[in-house]
Amino acid sequence: MNMRRTAAVARKEWKETVRDRLFLLMAFLLPGLWMVVFGYGLVLDVEHVPFAVLDRDQSSSSRDYLYRFIKSRYFDYRGSVREEREIDRLLGDTSIRMAIVVPERFEERLLAGRSVTVQTLLDGTFPLHADTAKGYVIAVNNSFTQELLTDFLTRTRGLVPGEAHRLTEPVSLETRYLYNEEVRSTWSMVPALIMFTLMVASPLLTALGVVREKETGSIYNIYSSTASKAEFLVGKLAPYFVISTINVAVLWMIAVWLFQVPFKGNIAVFFAASMLFVLCSIGIGLVISLLVRTQMAALIITIIIAMVPTLLFSGLLVPVSSLSPGAQVQAHLFPMMYYTAVVRGSFLKGLGLESMWTDVLALACFAVVLWLVAYGLFTKRPKA
Amino acid sequence: MIGNDGRVPEAVRLWALRLFVMTRKELLQLRRDVPLLLFLLYSFSLSIYVSGAGISMQLNNASLLVHDSDHSESSRELIHRFRQPYFRFDGEVQDQKVGVRRLDQGTAMLLLDIPPRFHESIVGHEPVSVQLLVDTTNAPQGLSAAGYASRIIGEFSFDRVSSRLGGASDGDIRIPRVDSAHRVWFNQDQNETWFQSISHILRMITLFAFLLPAAALVREKEHGTVEQLLVSPVTPLQIMLSKVLAMTLVILAATALAMASVLKPVFDVPVKGSAALFFLMTALYSFTTAGLGLFAATITKNQAQVGMIALLVISPMLLLSGIATPFEAMPPWVQTLMALSPLRYFVDVTYGILLKGVGLELLWDSVLAMVLLGGTLFGLGMWRFRRQLA
Repeated sequence: MNMRRTAAVARKEWKETVRDRLFLLMAFLLPGLWMVVFGYGLVLDVEHVPFAVLDRDQSSSSRDYLYRFIKSRYFDYRGSVREEREIDRLLGDTSIRMAIVVPERFEERLLAGRSVTVQTLLDGTFPLHADTAKGYVIAVNNSFTQELLTDFLTRTRGLVPGEAHRLTEPVSLETRYLYNEEVRSTWSMVPALIMFTLMVASPLLTALGVVREKETGSIYNIYSSTASKAEFLVGKLAPYFVISTINVAVLWMIAVWLFQVPFKGNIAVFFAASMLFVLCSIGIGLVISLLVRTQMAALIITIIIAMVPTLLFSGLLVPVSSLSPGAQVQAHLFPMMYYTAVVRGSFLKGLGLESMWTDVLALACFAVVLWLVAYGLFTKRPKA
Repeated sequence: MIGNDGRVPEAVRLWALRLFVMTRKELLQLRRDVPLLLFLLYSFSLSIYVSGAGISMQLNNASLLVHDSDHSESSRELIHRFRQPYFRFDGEVQDQKVGVRRLDQGTAMLLLDIPPRFHESIVGHEPVSVQLLVDTTNAPQGLSAAGYASRIIGEFSFDRVSSRLGGASDGDIRIPRVDSAHRVWFNQDQNETWFQSISHILRMITLFAFLLPAAALVREKEHGTVEQLLVSPVTPLQIMLSKVLAMTLVILAATALAMASVLKPVFDVPVKGSAALFFLMTALYSFTTAGLGLFAATITKNQAQVGMIALLVISPMLLLSGIATPFEAMPPWVQTLMALSPLRYFVDVTYGILLKGVGLELLWDSVLAMVLLGGTLFGLGMWRFRRQLA
């Protein structure tokens, strides 16, 4: 490999990139903008579930009970209805996601020490939300029951409230949240978004850069030049590597300064792993660009290849350990999973190389394999 | 439009013929791009199967480690209550430190710590607490796991109370209690494959509906073939409309393929409403999104730029319109901004028709919003395109 020829190719590529103002602006602007939009907007907590109530008892107990839902930040009260038919319409129209039906004789039965069943109607189109809302309802019911019970025992057995309370909760749970003590959605999302952003932007830049030459025919200049395969590939991709590297630093700064996510790990390990991941993502873009002929195909295939497995298999939304076995295998076939582990490990868990070396090694292997595949696919004497 | 003699005037016939020819040209051009076509096929068949079968955002198989310092009847019963599908018991650890290390590595998500004398305390009517360590690097999943755990402990605790009180009052148990009964509508079993496969189709439709026409228009600009079209008798409207028509047809065919090959036979997704209405709405949505894509194409010079704009516009659409996250929970400014996203309305329409079985009588407002958005975007794109050609 001749360094002078490599540098010449790199310089040519850099000039072409810089000349296209919009492209250059986007290459730097897009990653930062994404981080900000998604970091603020992508809230995964199920809150403000819109609901309506049907109170068939209209007693002070039922009002007291329903008030617990109305004042909760998890629910958003949208009014009460008088018959079940109205609930049908509201759920069908997606004006509400949940309805609570308090039965007749609610107060009477509870005061007599009997059990009462409260019906909750849930919109199941979004199973996760329905399930989470169900959990909130059960939690409200449980705490209401416990208060009732304490109250009941004080009344019927003449216990003092403190004693009654001890009797009603023999076993309690103490939960400690590790790594993200306040369980903030942004803290878990923002580091993973660094991965997402790099994964989508870098391959796209690369793929378009290569296919552009193929489509306009300027690649024939390369075919007939003295630059070797390796010199062309390295020189061609150097500018994209530089852009992505600058972006890693910018994204890190956004995460730490704007979103105030703590960085507990080793910064050298983080940046080294990020370089490897950038090599992987550029490699993916390169392989795609060698398989397609038009920029249109490169564009669509790169976006889908970059986005879909990233959203689904990287651990961004769902932990890899919870995926089905088939999906877990797929997750291991892409580099995103390993880098997500490194990013979250470095930011939130404060891990060093000794606990993450397998992930870093996997990234290195992906980078080598992808570049070897690209080297094998690229030929200076294409057929036809 | 019908002339006095009852026949379609020559001008209208010619206009339609030119539009038809242009649409055919687009389809032919697309047919020649084999990698792209293969990818289209994959996206609307296999990839939908994979995301439907493989992804579950609900708490599933959360890996649980136990540090049991009591090894009693009660502790065993408690551990036994943490079970599938929510939790997966991944063994006991002898030392809490070992458990924390597993959480560090990410090979386990939860560590339940049962104190010594757990059983004794319960029998002796002494309050006792168990500790749960939760990995919250993924906050929503961690919260959900903690929620389930507290439900399990709550029930366990309540069972102790009722047996204690029951024993004291000769079998006649009198305990006031609010029980929860749930009825889940539209998807009784909370089958997540339905949700995931449908939302994946929505993602694919959005991507292709935006990119196909946008890339097709920009390619003409880039190659200079747009000048050739200009000297031909077609109008700018026909150029743009033909691209939208061709790509909408392709997307409808792909959606039908996805429904017939994956959704119906493999996942048993019901079509409770009218299938015809669903396809009509898909066409409307493709048109609206294509309008957005064409508008983007008019402000860019080449395909690389369109790609960047696409990423800028589509990724917030995909992530914030309510198929990835609950719409109601998002900050108000995001909700306001997303009023401009056609996907936000199409989500309601799709789930409404397919799972809820409702029709236009309830969905008209979403449909109207899509029509208005689509019309405006297409009009804007048209206006810019005309100006550029002038």
